Amino acid sequence: MMLLEHHAKEFLSQAGVPVPEGVIVTDPQVPRFIFPCMAKAQVPVGGRGKAGGILKIKSAAEAPAIIERILGLTIRNHPVRACRLEALVDEAAEAYFSLAFDPDSGTIRILIAAEGGVDIESPEMRAKLLQAAAPPAVAPAQAALETLLPSLPESLRGPMREVVARLIPLFFEREAVLIEINPLFILPGGGWVAGDAKILTDDNALPRQPELRALIEQYPALYPEAALKLAQGFDFVQLDKLGDIGLVTTGAGLSMQLVDEIIQRGHRPFNFCDIRTGGFKGDPSRLIQVLKWVASGPNVSAILMNFFAGNTNLAELVPLILIALKNVPELRQKIILRMTGNGLDAARKILAESGNPIHVETDLERAIDRALADAKEWQHA
Amino acid sequence: MLDAFLAPDVKVLVQGATGRSGRSQTAQMVAYGTNIVAGVSRRDDPEVKIPLFKTCADAVRETGAKASVVFVPPLDVLAAINEAIEAGIELIVTVAEGVPVHDALKAKAATREAGVRWVGASTPGLAIPGKMKMGFLPNVSLAPGGLGVMSKSGTLSSEVCYRLVERGFGQTLWVGVGGDSVKGTRFADLIPFFAADPATTGIVIVGEIGGSEEEELADALIAARCQKPVFALLAGRSALEGVTMGHAGALISAHIGTIETKTAALRKAGAEVSPSIKLLIEAVSKTLAPS
Repeated sequence: MMLLEHHAKEFLSQAGVPVPEGVIVTDPQVPRFIFPCMAKAQVPVGGRGKAGGILKIKSAAEAPAIIERILGLTIRNHPVRACRLEALVDEAAEAYFSLAFDPDSGTIRILIAAEGGVDIESPEMRAKLLQAAAPPAVAPAQAALETLLPSLPESLRGPMREVVARLIPLFFEREAVLIEINPLFILPGGGWVAGDAKILTDDNALPRQPELRALIEQYPALYPEAALKLAQGFDFVQLDKLGDIGLVTTGAGLSMQLVDEIIQRGHRPFNFCDIRTGGFKGDPSRLIQVLKWVASGPNVSAILMNFFAGNTNLAELVPLILIALKNVPELRQKIILRMTGNGLDAARKILAESGNPIHVETDLERAIDRALADAKEWQHA
Repeated sequence: MLDAFLAPDVKVLVQGATGRSGRSQTAQMVAYGTNIVAGVSRRDDPEVKIPLFKTCADAVRETGAKASVVFVPPLDVLAAINEAIEAGIELIVTVAEGVPVHDALKAKAATREAGVRWVGASTPGLAIPGKMKMGFLPNVSLAPGGLGVMSKSGTLSSEVCYRLVERGFGQTLWVGVGGDSVKGTRFADLIPFFAADPATTGIVIVGEIGGSEEEELADALIAARCQKPVFALLAGRSALEGVTMGHAGALISAHIGTIETKTAALRKAGAEVSPSIKLLIEAVSKTLAPS
């Protein structure tokens, strides 16, 4: 999960990394803070400045309007749910630091540059990045950094050593996948401050990362996907609140592909979902939850369920679907159930005996065709 | 030629043979024809019909097992891999979902140092159709044939192979490499085997956004001068940036690991990249003859 900047900076601060003072706000009421300051949209993607998500607040008087404007933005499909107010940083040089895995060699990679900033993705800037790889442990990473330092201006060497000394232990303790500080402000007196911070953590490590779990539990509205995964063990991502096709699907890859294909065909999936039928264990509650969310989409006009039962059994799944549908009476759109694999005949029999009008297809292409046609019909009715 | 990667009659042990899924999957692997010679578990289980041992070392010493398929919970996978390496296992397949990345890094370093092949962290496994499987690739999607298949997603590749099998296209070898960012066997590692195998007449890749594996694969195809037709399907072109879509590896950030970079690299290497399952199957059907 990508930490929001505010929480990334809290983690950094706890590890002894200097960050500008800041507070997180989720409503436009004037918080106690010192103005002028910066107001920064808290979303897990870059490009915030260009999208109008980073603005200067000159006085307490203009704070509510600016915060409200930022909280009303959607940046790269992420609605802004929180805003960080942050103290201004005096005139400073901007450097770059990141720590990540090299998934191929299994090493960690340190990237540094004397110049950082928003243009770091440009080919000219990337060409100036210095990089070194090291086995995944603190001492080798520090040794690797030493090989890069001679290529940096003298004024940067001290700060970079301190950055590495603090961030490498943090990288391992929090089981991070990426830590990027850009810009890393180098102050005229030799001090340094993390201007922005990107920390990508590993959801799979949550069972043994109590601080990360606590963060998600404290802010479920800011990390809805991670909160769901943590509490209920499956994935649901709302993709398009005006989407017309609701998806109840299992398997990450196949579910992503279905989203792609529905978009290619001119429709708008409301959600992505990997419901993980293997984890049902006879309990319909995941299905009920997903159906309720899908039913809440104002434009959802048809629901496509897809279950390829390679290792599960459809005869065990269908009774759960029937119970779930009874529990979501608000769902009035047509449902297309594509199912194939183990237990198909028995599952069909159970459905037929139930009298439920749910439409069954065994072929995925026909199921998609039917769902899209049903959606059009619903929209015209 | 694929024997260099995996011999169909290799002696296999199952780590975690007495867990709920280990027990049922072991029975299915045996039924499929896999030469399962032992199970490893700390506890006894009269329902498990294969010889059970307390440790990998005991199992290897008594049975001569060379490969292991691991059915233990995700946080126990690293320890199981280390135990298998110690015991002298040469191929390890791990299937648990949710192995932490830092554990995968350690496992990668350990297997590499020991010269052990690792397929994982989280994969549905691998299969030589009609002969053996390690893991739980679904039988309905398996059939002997001429395609070399490698996949990140279990469900998407199961759908693709199921429909290819319906059209008469089976597989020589299918390896699920998994959707993790750090993994034991990457797409590019498999190319030399498929390129050199005369029975493999085409290669199917089921990839997805995130990471740089498809780009490396393109380089490997060029380096191997692979003249076989290569068909690719890449999932996740509409994934939401900054959010994990089910697979830890499928997270796009900035300009790395996008569908555009992957498609361009694969096309440059001569692969046919299809935007939909249907078009992928049509591409295979037009180019190759069913087996």
